[in-house]
Amino acid sequence: MTTYAFDDEGVVVIIGSGAGGGTLANELAQRGVGVVVLEAGKHLTADDFVNDEWGGYEMLSWLDKRTSSGNWRVAKDHPLNPSWSCQVVGGTTTHWSACCYRFIADELRAKTVYGDIPGASLIDWPITLDELDPYYDLAEAKMGVTRTNGLPGLPANNNFKVMYAGAKALGLNVSTGRHAINSIPYDGRPATIQDGFTITGDKTGSRWSTLNVELPRGLATGKLELRPQSRAVFIEHDAAGKASGVVYVDGAGVTYRQKARAVVLAGNCVESSRLLLHSKSARFPDGLANGYGHVGRHYLRHLIQTVWSTFDKPVHMHRGEIMGGMIDDFVRHDPARGFAGGYYIEMNSMGLPTTAAFMDPGWWGRDFASVIEQYSKMAGIFMSGEDMPQPDNRITLTDELDAYGVPVANIHYDDHPNDLKLRSHGYKVLTSIHKAAGAKRSVEAPAYPASHNLGSNRMAGRAEDGVLDGNGRAWEVPNLFIADGSNFATGGACNPTLTIVALAIRQAGFMAGQMAAGEL
Amino acid sequence: MSAVTAHKDPKLPPPVALPEDASWVGALKLFDAHAAETLVAAARTLYPHDGLPERIYRRTVFHFDAMAAKAPVAAQSFAEFVDLVDGALPLKFAELSEGYRVQVLKGIEQSAAFRLVQRSTVRFLYDDVEVWQAFGYEGASVHLGGYVNRGFNDLDWLPDPPPGV
Ligand SMILES: Cc1cc2nc3c(=O)[nH]c(=O)nc-3n(C[C@H](O)[C@H](O)[C@H](O)COP(=O)(O)OP(=O)(O)OC[C@H]3O[C@@H](n4cnc5c(N)ncnc54)[C@H](O)[C@@H]3O)c2cc1C
Repeated sequence: MTTYAFDDEGVVVIIGSGAGGGTLANELAQRGVGVVVLEAGKHLTADDFVNDEWGGYEMLSWLDKRTSSGNWRVAKDHPLNPSWSCQVVGGTTTHWSACCYRFIADELRAKTVYGDIPGASLIDWPITLDELDPYYDLAEAKMGVTRTNGLPGLPANNNFKVMYAGAKALGLNVSTGRHAINSIPYDGRPATIQDGFTITGDKTGSRWSTLNVELPRGLATGKLELRPQSRAVFIEHDAAGKASGVVYVDGAGVTYRQKARAVVLAGNCVESSRLLLHSKSARFPDGLANGYGHVGRHYLRHLIQTVWSTFDKPVHMHRGEIMGGMIDDFVRHDPARGFAGGYYIEMNSMGLPTTAAFMDPGWWGRDFASVIEQYSKMAGIFMSGEDMPQPDNRITLTDELDAYGVPVANIHYDDHPNDLKLRSHGYKVLTSIHKAAGAKRSVEAPAYPASHNLGSNRMAGRAEDGVLDGNGRAWEVPNLFIADGSNFATGGACNPTLTIVALAIRQAGFMAGQMAAGEL
Repeated sequence: MSAVTAHKDPKLPPPVALPEDASWVGALKLFDAHAAETLVAAARTLYPHDGLPERIYRRTVFHFDAMAAKAPVAAQSFAEFVDLVDGALPLKFAELSEGYRVQVLKGIEQSAAFRLVQRSTVRFLYDDVEVWQAFGYEGASVHLGGYVNRGFNDLDWLPDPPPGV
């Protein structure tokens, strides 16, 4: 592997190797740019992964303490781990279930289309769908998304048969959806063997991740250096106010300083805001790039919830890819429904350990026991909907320091009235789909820890409305970028990763162009 | 109860084998017999599956003991839990009927000690391969070739969706 000197001022330093950081690193390396990736987690391989829900969770997850507040149910159920992501080379792409949908045009113009909603800090994106579409095309091709580029959809599994029967009975538009999981061999990776363990690392490599696609290709260029077990703790700037380097701590506890030509944060939203807030200086007393006070604010996590239903006969939902089902009838903004924004319906399945843990975390007694005993006859259906940005839903620093001397983050989230209306609509529809397929009993499971973390360093058309411009560059620090979902101006409804990847590809082109022009 | 075979990932240790009689508590690092039996009674009251043998609940408490041995804070919470449930009524918790046990547990639901015991029971009980087997969860699959040829689409009581849907 190529190595760069600590005082090499010509490298782009990227913090985080997940969907955003890993993709950007490869895209820059392909364009001949020197890149150092600092990744807090270890470099694991397919051999290390286990087919075990808790074993995988403990191996891959970001388990450092966080705190939470606000009236969201997560603060009660998961007070010290309100957000769910990974700490490993490849980030949460080692774990994700790979649903890949595009924003629709209206979602990128949320403020204009939804109008003034009291309490919501909606803005329009500084980019349009027309500008984004070519990058979606590139992202889908590199990720091998099913139902694009001639790739067939995932085959129907047992859980999908239930979803399909119910959806058809209600006249809904249902398919197995689109996933960055191979239905047939593609790009040197095999077709899925329907093992059902994408969330514990994916031992076969049928699913796209930055671990198995982007990072190896970036490394092969000789332009990329990957430093695992390297925890960024502070971003420094020079007298001109440009980012000049990153201080990080390695696995042995030794502190280093890597100089940089440009710095990119891609630590999965919460960590990126936390690092900016922590990187205070005389010039940036409230944190780097935080002159307008938006860093950490407008935090979004999507309205995500599952309905679990029991049936008379076996389903065996754990067999096969876990999210291979999609209904798009409720995606469009439709004021007649009584709320702004929309939601995707998707399939969901979990093994017995996590179904029990997430069905309703405080629930115990004979009633719970009678439901969970029906596990083999259970089906799952899920939704991901747009939540309203609110300035006070935010990431802040607490007084408690972690092992690296960085303050522990608090995530505050209050549900907006629109969120509640959308949730309630969704629960009713999810339940009606299962009922139409013959469900005996349906349980409305609350949201699990936030898996779609977005918006807390948002892009905006004007510096006073956000942290970043339309290229994900900080308004106040011209060589500081964000490549994770915290750059979203608003959340849209769909699972975010395809958009994170598309934005990272676009950002790589912008950065390389600026460098070629001598401006970065 | 269903006719599937549950598999733990071959890289992970098999479930601990505990003696089937009262001597099982000898396998514990920290808990005394009374604490252990009280926690077993609590786990069974929280998640009462009449078909499951006692050894599964004991294995759950075996994991509590390992947690307690690692973290003094957890040890203190488990001890507090035992005191709370024992002190609630004139009989010790483990000797109460199920209805009274439920009443006692409801009374302490808001405490941190209850939360620890309840969450930890879910964590370990439903992670036990014998429970997987009983409730029809097959578990690890890659070492067996996944489910592609082992029933991922064998549901036959609903019409098959058209190919390519
Ligand atoms: C259960 C679950 C299922 C999901 N399924 C889907 C899905 O079907 N479709 C979809 O679109 N999305 C899905 N997601 C979300 C998806 O995983 C994320 O959107 C995506 O991975 C985010 O990319 P990222 O680059 O922002 O962060 P990540 O992929 O999480 O990568 C961030 C990386 O940064 C590292 N890092 C953080 N801080 C530091 C630091 N200070 N120093 C060094 N390194 C640091 C972390 O260790 C991590 O490796 C799912 C998420 C979960 C939890």
